[in-house]
Formats: sequence, C-alpha cells, structure tokens
Amino acid sequence: MAIKFFGQFLVERNIVTRDALLKAIEMQERTNLKLGEMAVSVGYITQSDIELAHNAQMSKDMKLGDLLVEMGLLTLNQLNDVITRQKNTHLYIGEALVQVGALTTEGLQQYLQEFKADQSQYVSEGIELPGGIANSRIWEMAADLTYKMITRVLDLQFRPGKGELVTTIDSNFMLAAMDLAGDMDARYLISVSEGLQKSIAKAILREESVDSEPAEVLEDTVMEFVNVVCGNISAKASQMGVILNINPPVTIRPPAAGLPVPTGHMAICFPIHIGDDEKMQLILLIKN
Amino acid sequence: MKKVLIVDDSLSVARQLERIISESGDLVCVGHAKNGAEAIKMNHSENPDIICMDMNMPGMDGLTALRTLSVMDKDVKVVMVTSLGGVGDKFTEALKLGAKNVISKPFEAENVLRILREL
Repeated sequence: MAIKFFGQFLVERNIVTRDALLKAIEMQERTNLKLGEMAVSVGYITQSDIELAHNAQMSKDMKLGDLLVEMGLLTLNQLNDVITRQKNTHLYIGEALVQVGALTTEGLQQYLQEFKADQSQYVSEGIELPGGIANSRIWEMAADLTYKMITRVLDLQFRPGKGELVTTIDSNFMLAAMDLAGDMDARYLISVSEGLQKSIAKAILREESVDSEPAEVLEDTVMEFVNVVCGNISAKASQMGVILNINPPVTIRPPAAGLPVPTGHMAICFPIHIGDDEKMQLILLIKN
Repeated sequence: MKKVLIVDDSLSVARQLERIISESGDLVCVGHAKNGAEAIKMNHSENPDIICMDMNMPGMDGLTALRTLSVMDKDVKVVMVTSLGGVGDKFTEALKLGAKNVISKPFEAENVLRILREL
C-alpha cells in the first residue's frame, strides 16, 4: 500500500530473506563505484584530489563532480565519461539477488512485473503548478501523492483545485506540518476544518465514531496522515535522485488573520474541495 | 503468546497496532513507548519478544534506539514500522543495524501480523 523499493517488496513478501538481501546490497556497494572512486579507477584524478574537493565542499554547496570540474581537477568530458561508466556498470538489486543465488533470472522478471503493478498506483498523473517554480517535478509529485493518499488512506471523495501562489496561509481549524530538508528545504502543511479532522480521525483509527476521543488524539491523526504522506514523498523523491529527509510532524493553530508567508519563501496552495461546509488545503512552503 | 512492545510517538499509530495485536489471538501488547529512550527502558522492564518501532520520533529516534538495543539485547527482535520504508538507504540501514524487517506505512493488518508471526 506504500511506495517501496524492489528489495523491500521482495523481503515483505518472503520471496527473499533479509540475509540474502543484505548480501546482495553488500555486492552492490562493492560493485557500484561512487563518482570519485570511478574517476580514480580510470586514472583521471587521485585520492588526494578527492580530499581537496571534499574540503572545498564544506564551504561550497556543490556536487562533487561539478566541484572537481570547477577546481580544474577534472574536465567536463572526463566528468561525462565517469557518469556514463557509472551508468553502464551499475548493478541493480534484482541482478545482485540473482548473482547471490536468491532469485532465478526468470523469477526476477516475474517479480519485477508484480512490483511494477503494485507500484503503478503511485505513478504521477501530472499536476499543474504556477510557472517559474524550481524543482517543479518534486512539488508536482508531492501534490499528486497527497491526492492519492487522500483517496487510499482516508477514503474521501474530493476535487483538486488549481495550485496558486499565496502570500498568506488561510486560517482554518488546524494545520499539521512537517519539515522537509536535504537537497531542498520546504514545509509541507495540511490545513483542515473541524469536520474534516474528524473524518481523518475515523479513517486513521478505523472507528465509526470519534466523538469521545480527546483533542490530542484527533490532532495526532492529522499529524499521522501528514507523516505517512511525507514519508512516501521522501521515498518517491529518493527514486527520483533527490534527498528529502523528514522531521517529526507538528500541529499549528493558525490565527484568524492567517499566517503570512515568511520572507525568503514561496507558498503554493492547493485547495482540496470536499464539501460545502468543509475546508481542506495542501500548502507547500518552499524556501527560495 | 509472543509479547510485543510498540514504540511510536503517534498515539493513533499505537492505537492501530494495539488493536491489530490484541485481535491476533497469539500476540499480546505489553506496552507503548513514545521514543527510543523509553523503548530501551521498557525493553528492560517488560522483556518483550518483539519490538515494533517507528524510525522518525522526537528525542531518541528509532535507528539510534535500534543500534543500542542490538548491542544490549541479542534476543529481542526489532521490526521497524515507518513511513520511510520506501527510502532505500533507510531500509538498508535498518537491516544492517539488526532489524528483522521493515513495515511501510500505510500498513495493512494482515501484512503486520504475517511479519510478526514469522519472527
């Protein structure tokens, strides 16, 4: 029901053992050279060049390859050659599992098909963002995954509104937020009205009625929904080559005038239309 | 009956897991810790067979607690229950630190029970 990588899918279904997967991952780690290691192995640079670049990375936010080129230690052609060699020699986890004897080649093909079918429910259908937003494919994925989780986890019928840039985050009964950090920094927020908070609580707790639940538990269910969505956003981002770490979720009670978007940030607000009396929004507060 | 300790800062996740475990018939929940440090204390006091632990918690997180538990108690079996299960690096790190399996959120009751019963 969640975004997974292939090795996890196989262990969860008891197709391969945990120990076999670890053996295959160790083989991958020995085979799949990092960019610096590959550049050294073909003789373009030395180990001391890598150390120089790593020291420079402490004061410059650049990828190792770009930095090696900027420092004149590697040419652009050499960098492209190293990246091509990395791609051509990459050992995928499925192939590694065949090599350690945990899967047959035929089994690998069959399970890859099953894995693709399992994960196809999370393939993005395309979300339109306002123009000029950096890393738009990540934020489109975040919005798309939110919609899919509203359907699958909360079992709510809704109509997604168009994402628009806002300068104030509207007031609502509560907001649950989670900070995303890594290759980009942002805050993911879900804003819900009181009735929707109860709908979310019923779905998460799997209870017919939540009228007797304390406010703390009702708030926690919205935070847990945010946690589930953001964890899956982090997983999908890592499949797209982007690191997005998550922090524990928090609750915000916005003032009646709403929350102004802080300087140095932009906010995209996606209205989620559920009913006339209820209000739900997804807000992506992205650091410029 | 196998004894299970739940470790999660979320009250709602703890409620979901407690229900799944209590309805299983062959597993019993012996407590709920809200972070890694509490988990280490309750592992000592409750002596569970299995620990179901979240990764992302305030205070001591799940992977730090797993590292400590793997050294302190060779018998307890730890399963990570996390929304980060699909992040390959996190999954691999958990297995390398000694986790027996990783369950991704959102989870299904039958999947949770199958994995816990296999331990």
